[in-house]
Amino acid sequence: MLRNAFLKTLRDARRGFAWWSLGLVAMAALMIAVYPSVRDNPGLNELVEDYPDAFKAFFGLGEDVDYTSAVGYLKSELFSFMVPLLLLVAAIGAGARATAGEEEAGTLDLLLANPISRRRLVLEKLGALAAELFALGLVLWLALVAGVEAIGMDVSAAHLAAATLAAALLALAFGAIALFAGAALGRRGAAIGVAAAGAVAAYLVSSLAELVGFLEPVRLASPYYHYAANDALRAGLAPEHVAFLVALAAAALACAVAAFERRDLATS
Amino acid sequence: MPEAGTAIRALGLTKLYGAERGVLELDFAVAAGEVFGFLGPNGAGKTTTIRLLLDLIRPTRGRVEVFGRDPRRDVTVRRRIGYLPGDLRLYERLTARELCAYFARLRGLRGPGRAEALAARLELPFDRPIASLSKGNRQKAGLVQAFMHEPDLLVLDEPTAGLDPLVQQTFYELVAEARRAGATVFLSSHVLPEVQHVADRVALIREGRLVLTAAVDELRARAFSRVEVTFAAAPPAAAFARVAGARELERHGQTVLFALQGEADPLIKALARFRVVALDSHEADLEDIFLDLYRGAEARDAA
Repeated sequence: MLRNAFLKTLRDARRGFAWWSLGLVAMAALMIAVYPSVRDNPGLNELVEDYPDAFKAFFGLGEDVDYTSAVGYLKSELFSFMVPLLLLVAAIGAGARATAGEEEAGTLDLLLANPISRRRLVLEKLGALAAELFALGLVLWLALVAGVEAIGMDVSAAHLAAATLAAALLALAFGAIALFAGAALGRRGAAIGVAAAGAVAAYLVSSLAELVGFLEPVRLASPYYHYAANDALRAGLAPEHVAFLVALAAAALACAVAAFERRDLATS
Repeated sequence: MPEAGTAIRALGLTKLYGAERGVLELDFAVAAGEVFGFLGPNGAGKTTTIRLLLDLIRPTRGRVEVFGRDPRRDVTVRRRIGYLPGDLRLYERLTARELCAYFARLRGLRGPGRAEALAARLELPFDRPIASLSKGNRQKAGLVQAFMHEPDLLVLDEPTAGLDPLVQQTFYELVAEARRAGATVFLSSHVLPEVQHVADRVALIREGRLVLTAAVDELRARAFSRVEVTFAAAPPAAAFARVAGARELERHGQTVLFALQGEADPLIKALARFRVVALDSHEADLEDIFLDLYRGAEARDAA
């Protein structure tokens, strides 16, 4: 596991990975375990329908959501907020640690005195971030498939995979933004701040755009909008929305390389 | 790999950080196979120079070459470098063995090279997490990773910091062995005695400027003794102006301090004309000579 910076980064992440996996599995199990009582309680649907539109929009319960259906339930309870949130937190943390964490810890001087270019280091760090994220997505997907299977929910494994992948791509984009901010600023806290602020803004713009007319055109710039617009649990992945998220991650990566190659590294 | 030519060349190398720190117009060359002592007080610009060599920071003006290459454009040249940072930070969760294995891979080695043997020689606990190591043991781990791939160029920033005297001795042996094998060693320190036994040449940096370079042999040739003489009565001011090999350095009342180079006889004969109460003599170390040279250079600059 110590053959290169990519594997070294994964090795460093293994303990955190175990905890994140545990958390995601526990969340999936809990939400699915509660579903039968939701399904058997049609009153809930009326209750949700009576919610103010603003409230429904904000929590990703679209106009046509049947809260007690398997898809409606998983969408509103897991995929509109909790799954992207947890994956975002994991990704932003890893992105901020990538170079800024090493720079603050002071190990970057010694690492980059080795024959490894700064470009290469950024690429390997992002590679490790992506690998960790997709592995977390895989764990979550397996837990969801097992749970859905166990209580016979009407949702396909393929659509669960699509929804999980979309959330992982959203998180990857913000992880790359955190990596870029960390590579440019050299400070882990600042990198987390920049990426987290961006993620919150993306969520707010996307949610509020359904209520506030003038935000409507702006939401096309929101990564969260492109995540949610897949409607993956029902329809699978939409290429144009996936392309937006991938392009955003690639652009952030290119900026990270450019910023990191130009900078003087800080002494601790 | 022994090699003719120049290991390090700085050309007008300048790094400015606001008005305070940095280095200015450094011009120097370190020949391949040479042990070069880079001296200066803390904050003079030693670490800045070293970080410029390794492309960790970029020059404001001028440039630096390592084995004729620009370290920024040619990452592979770092394979030939062993680096010990002045402010050494290691991966706390790895053991020294794991650290060496990792860096060995990054440097394109199959195994950790001489790391294990070096660790044994320095008595470094090789399999304990670095987090649990003392300052001295961390420094040893830093040395092991710097020397393990038998690099052509060792860049060592204050290498003896935190090492006890016995380990320092081992360190000097390692430097001497590397030199015999043809390696170039760039060694920084804030005092001359730390490097004078191993260095071929020394340079002094002060407030970001290179004020002097001298061969250690040349310093030795200028070696002098300090002779402190207390007279019963203060002799006339010019009494010793023409004594061969002796120079009056200081005078406090009846006590006169001489710098003596070569044979003592002329000074003794000159002293004999007066009543001498006490006489004390000791060898000046190279530091004194060095500072003497430095003050001379400074006086010339001022003139």
